[in-house]
Formats: sequence, structure tokens, C-alpha cells
Amino acid sequence: MTSRNIGIMRYNPEQDKKPHTESYQVEADDNTSVLDALQQVQQQDPSLSFRWSCRMAICGSCGVMVNSVPKLGCQTFLRDYPDSLVISPLSNFAVEKDLIVDMEPFLEHLSAIKPWLINSEQSTVPHVQTPQQLARYQQFANCINCGLCYSACPQFGLNPEFRGPAALALAHRYNLDSRDLGKAERMPQLNAKDGVWTCTFVGFCSEVCPKKVDPAAAINQGKVESAKDMILSVFKSSGVR
Amino acid sequence: MPSHNNSRRPYLPAFRRDWWLQLRFYQLYMLREATVLPLLFFISCLIYGLYSLSQGESQWLKWLDFMARPWVVALNVLTLAASLFHAKTFFELFPRVMPLAPPSLMIAVQWLATVVVAGGFVVLLGAWV
Ligand code: SF4
Ligand code: FES
Repeated sequence: MTSRNIGIMRYNPEQDKKPHTESYQVEADDNTSVLDALQQVQQQDPSLSFRWSCRMAICGSCGVMVNSVPKLGCQTFLRDYPDSLVISPLSNFAVEKDLIVDMEPFLEHLSAIKPWLINSEQSTVPHVQTPQQLARYQQFANCINCGLCYSACPQFGLNPEFRGPAALALAHRYNLDSRDLGKAERMPQLNAKDGVWTCTFVGFCSEVCPKKVDPAAAINQGKVESAKDMILSVFKSSGVR
Repeated sequence: MPSHNNSRRPYLPAFRRDWWLQLRFYQLYMLREATVLPLLFFISCLIYGLYSLSQGESQWLKWLDFMARPWVVALNVLTLAASLFHAKTFFELFPRVMPLAPPSLMIAVQWLATVVVAGGFVVLLGAWV
């Protein structure tokens, strides 16, 4: 264990006008994660606020910026930042206190695309799915709703109404699911002004995603679907009567 | 949401206009987008060339002279480099949008097609001249 310095962005809404960085001393070895370091600092200063739960990259609650890049605190290690390390709250979200941001806009975008199986068929027989059918969407089903991709997305930063990477990837995931019949209900969200066409394939969302979901690919596959949907709707409305 | 807590005072920093300078990844993205600028110059050259062709021999010779100027050649070499860089990024992104085959195969096929089409143009041009 060696002692080292880290910076943490602090914001106390009851006292501070805006966030500021403070530096702390922590004990670290090769196994010390950013989350471990935060917990050490919390021992020194119990007022430090941050979210975490599983400590194993599953719950998605420990997202922070590490040197300006969105990361899961429990999956990021101090050994990879030998020079300097500054931990700040996730970008593009409003800071409530210290490292805790308001995830509400993200959750609203998620629920807007109806991320559940839509299938009115009331059957007691299981919906059988072949491995091929599973493979079509499996990658996009690995999302843990950590929100890192929203912090990586300049389009979301510019326009918070943009549905954003995880929500659009999830819409694509359900649209690709052979058990789902809800595509027609989701397409208006994809086609809309703040849907897939807001994406310019910056691609940093996919770079930071801890679960290799590749939301940028999902959104751009969604553009193909959206284009098909628009062309079909032109044909439908223009006279096949 | 009902807000019964008056000490809530969320702080949202303004989105930085220079966001794309902050990380190398963003800089490369902007470079990819900026490759359209030299391409605009090249297209202007082509349109000027077509116009000159329609105006007869003396204008055509003027255009040939213009195209041989060192700064025009330099800009067009830059255009070629920029377009190749754009093609590289595009060919790498395309398999993620339309996953029809393994990405490395799709990238190889796209480069092959580029070489074949470009080679075809050179042969046609050679035959015409
Ligand atoms: S797509 Fe990836 S980065 Fe975005 S919320 Fe899901 S797991 Fe996190
Ligand atoms: S604590 Fe659960 S993902 Fe990091």
C-alpha cells in the first residue's frame, strides 16, 4: 500500500454556489478501485456522497467521470492513473450532491420507448426462441442502465430531449426480439425529432459502455429501420386501397 | 415528482461549446466531419472544369493551367488524403450498421471495391486520352 493523492469534485447544495475540486490522500495498491478510494475518503469525511451497490459492474449505480471519461467506479483502478486522477459527477446530468446526479431524465427516456415485451397474446405455452433468434438481440440486452453513454454523448449534452444511446439501443433490442409485437408502437419514438436521427455517430457511447452493448451500432441500425418504416408509410398512405 | 425538500438545488453546468477539444476521441470525430471541407473545394474544381469545357478551347486551357498551380495541386492532394481518411472511418463503421458478414471481411471487401472502381476510372481515362 502506498499513499497517493486524488481529486474529488464536491458540491453541497446547501452551501456551495457551484462544484469545486478537493484533494484527498488515500492508501492504494494494484487492487484499489475508484470506488474503494471513494469509500476510504468517506471514512475521513462522512459527508461525501456517491452511489454504489454491487461492487462488481452489475448494478450500474457507481458511474462517475474519471479524468473526464465516464467510468464505473468499481471497475476502474487507481493503478491505471499513476499521474493524476480526478473524480467528478457524470457529465450532462444535473448534480444533486458531490458525485450524485439526477438520473430522472435518463429514466424518462428509457421508459418512453416501452422497454418490455409487448405481446397481447395470453398464452400459457412458453414462447420458444431459437439460439439464432436470441443472438439477434442478445448484445443489446446486456445494458445495465448505468448511464455512462449519456455522459459520453455530445448530442445529449446539446439537447437533453434526445432519447439517447441506452434508450434507443433498448428499443432496438425489443424490436429485434421474436417474442415481441410492439415495433409499431416504438417506431414513432425512433422516427421522432429527438429519435435516432439526432445521432451523428460520434460513437463515444460505445467506447465507454462497460457491457459492450455498442449503443451507437444499435441506433444506426435503428436508422435503417426508421428509413424502411417511413418508406412503407408513404406507400401505405399513397393509395394501396 | 413532489419536491418536499427545499434544500434540493441541482447544479447543471452549461454544455461547453469546445466539448470536442476535450478528448482525443472527439477530436478525431471532428476531423472525420471536417473532411467534407476539402471535398467541397475539389467539387468546385470539377464544376469549374465542366463549365470551362462548355466554353471552348481557350477557357479549357485556362482551366488546365489553373489545375496545375502548386496551391491547387496541394489542396487536391489534401482532399485525397482527407477522403481516404473518411473512407477508412466509414468502412469501419458500416459493418456495425449493417452486420452482413464478419467486420474484417466487410472492411476488406469495401477497400477492394474502392481499388477496383478507382482502377477502372484510371483505365477508362487512359483509353480516352
Ligand atoms: S448502453 Fe452501456 S453505457 Fe449505456 S446505460 Fe447501457 S450499459 Fe451503460
Ligand atoms: S457498484 Fe454496481 S456497477 Fe459499480
